[in-house]
Amino acid sequence: MADEAVFDQLKNSIIDQDQDAVLAAVEGALAGGVDPRDVISKGLLPGLNVIGEQFECEDIFLPELMQAALAFQAAMGILEPKIRELGGDGRKKGKIVLGTVKGDLHSIGKNILRLLFETSGFEVYDLGIDVDLFKFIDKAAEVDADVIAMSALLTTTLVGQRDVIEALRDQGTRDKYKVIVGGGATTPQWAETIGADGWSANAYDAVNLVSKLVS
Amino acid sequence: MIDLVEVFDRAETGPLTSETDFYMKRYVPKLQELIARYRIKWDKETIINTDDDLNDRVFQAAVDLLAEAGAYCPETNRVMQFTRDEILRACEECPTAATFGEGRERKVMYGRRPDSTSERPWVHVGGGIYTTDEQIYMDTVEKMASFTIVDSVSVPSILHLRGKDARVRSPQEILAALKTVRLAREGIRRSGRAGLPIINGISAASQPASMFAASYPEFGLRPSDGFLIDFLSEMVVGYEALQKVAFYNSISANIGSTSTPLFGGYAGGAEGVAVTATCYMIMGVLIFRGTYHYNAPLHSKLHLSATKPLIWAIAISNAAVGRNMQYPMVNLPYLGGGSGTKQYHYEMACYMLAVVTSGGNVFSGHPAMAVQADSLVPDDHKFHAEIGLAAAKLTRAAAEPLAQKLFPLFGEKLKDPDKGLTFQEVYDPKTKRIANDEYLRVMEDVRSELAAMGLEVPVS
Repeated sequence: MADEAVFDQLKNSIIDQDQDAVLAAVEGALAGGVDPRDVISKGLLPGLNVIGEQFECEDIFLPELMQAALAFQAAMGILEPKIRELGGDGRKKGKIVLGTVKGDLHSIGKNILRLLFETSGFEVYDLGIDVDLFKFIDKAAEVDADVIAMSALLTTTLVGQRDVIEALRDQGTRDKYKVIVGGGATTPQWAETIGADGWSANAYDAVNLVSKLVS
Repeated sequence: MIDLVEVFDRAETGPLTSETDFYMKRYVPKLQELIARYRIKWDKETIINTDDDLNDRVFQAAVDLLAEAGAYCPETNRVMQFTRDEILRACEECPTAATFGEGRERKVMYGRRPDSTSERPWVHVGGGIYTTDEQIYMDTVEKMASFTIVDSVSVPSILHLRGKDARVRSPQEILAALKTVRLAREGIRRSGRAGLPIINGISAASQPASMFAASYPEFGLRPSDGFLIDFLSEMVVGYEALQKVAFYNSISANIGSTSTPLFGGYAGGAEGVAVTATCYMIMGVLIFRGTYHYNAPLHSKLHLSATKPLIWAIAISNAAVGRNMQYPMVNLPYLGGGSGTKQYHYEMACYMLAVVTSGGNVFSGHPAMAVQADSLVPDDHKFHAEIGLAAAKLTRAAAEPLAQKLFPLFGEKLKDPDKGLTFQEVYDPKTKRIANDEYLRVMEDVRSELAAMGLEVPVS
């Protein structure tokens, strides 16, 4: 099969959110001698871009986004060892530490954001909900993150975002990371007040924002 | 109906599963299967559904969703399971009336049926919007309570103490919750209607401890007010919610089961939101022992409720429950337009036409997605209550063409809504009267436009 046809098959299997088809296409591509890095960059990621656009246009929703992300993660389980064998590090667009701040138990917006980051080629460390401020900082240091992304839905939990930035300043590590904030209770004014590097109204905009910040 | 302790036990005894598996192996596939099984489909045009067979199919799908997928308790990682018989029994024994208030303000909110054109619905106004100043807070509550058509109020939140905002779970949050309740009750007293119920208890409390503290009678709330208990995430019943259920049932208070299914989230699109919103009302009765329901579906990206598919889904959930349970219900709209804007009034009119004709009671809505401080402008809410009462005289079939005329007036603006006014920009700080002529002109223009469309909205 010509490479273009292989890449189309990879792309379409992701768009169809069909994990079995994705894995079969990946195995087929590798058996045919396609470079695993090209499998990702020319096959899977273009498919994920389409998934992201469909999500933005409301042609698909969170469940379909999750299926595509799960298929992509399964494919990476095969591809990452191959890339390491070739001496590459399989490096992604950037590393993001993500979570909902302390005291806030809301997860859906944060989960959508995680999936959109993953399907846009970022390496995501999702700390979950009700995250202690030092967990953000420790994890960012541990994985050498590029971005810390914090969600807060409640007015009473907003201060958790401010505290992370304050602690980063106190530790002298504020400039090591780009810090973005979002969630129902946040506003651009709030982001500016606490000294965040960016704010976005929704998950899709957040991906565009981070892409610019790390470029 | 199965007893409450048995309900709590279901969170301790159901099958163990991770949250991701609950969603991806239970809720999502089951919801999609039920949408197909019951042929639930939005035609991408209708705002107010008049097909009662579809409404009943949505109700059946909601029953099956709870019976076959269950709910999820994150603290125990267990699925709370209920048999179909237990669910149907809860639907049969669902309260159809909730009594609120004290003295001469003591009244009954009824569960309504679609097209109930001869009965006056319950009129509820207000919202838990952040307020920056105690005086503004009191004036806002007093003014809302003083409108004679109003049966109950939602009061704003005021979170700061000595110039600083209270943090979640902090002792200051408890003090802020106490302050909110005391100020709200005093504002209501000043209106001359001391017994008027507050049914969004408690707007400044995000944790059970704050809610319980502020429920202490000395601070002014009573069991005849209403206390909100919410489902945190799709089909999730957490311990905090169950703690509130345990407490408020123990003092025999009115419980407002509250749900915010997300369009674009795990529920998917319009069809999934319609089924899930309906399912939450059943869960509200069975698991929370609610006496009324706050139905607040929301768009996951726009953070508002006034898109066409969402209004369709919300109206269907009202009709599905109105026809099959008659659980007393209000719908909480999050609207894009800011206070005093034409966009806000158009959105509210379209939403009100849909939900009130479909079986919901009247509830004015949050402007500016509820994120602009001090944006609770009482006269907006009076106007919107008047619109709701006008809508209650229509059938769904009569309301649908009006909703279709209204939607183009705001639909394109939902991604970048018009900015609005604050309380301070509308009222004279001393006389508390409207001091903004433009504000009044916009409102009267919209009233005239609605009349020209065929919806006469008398001034109360």
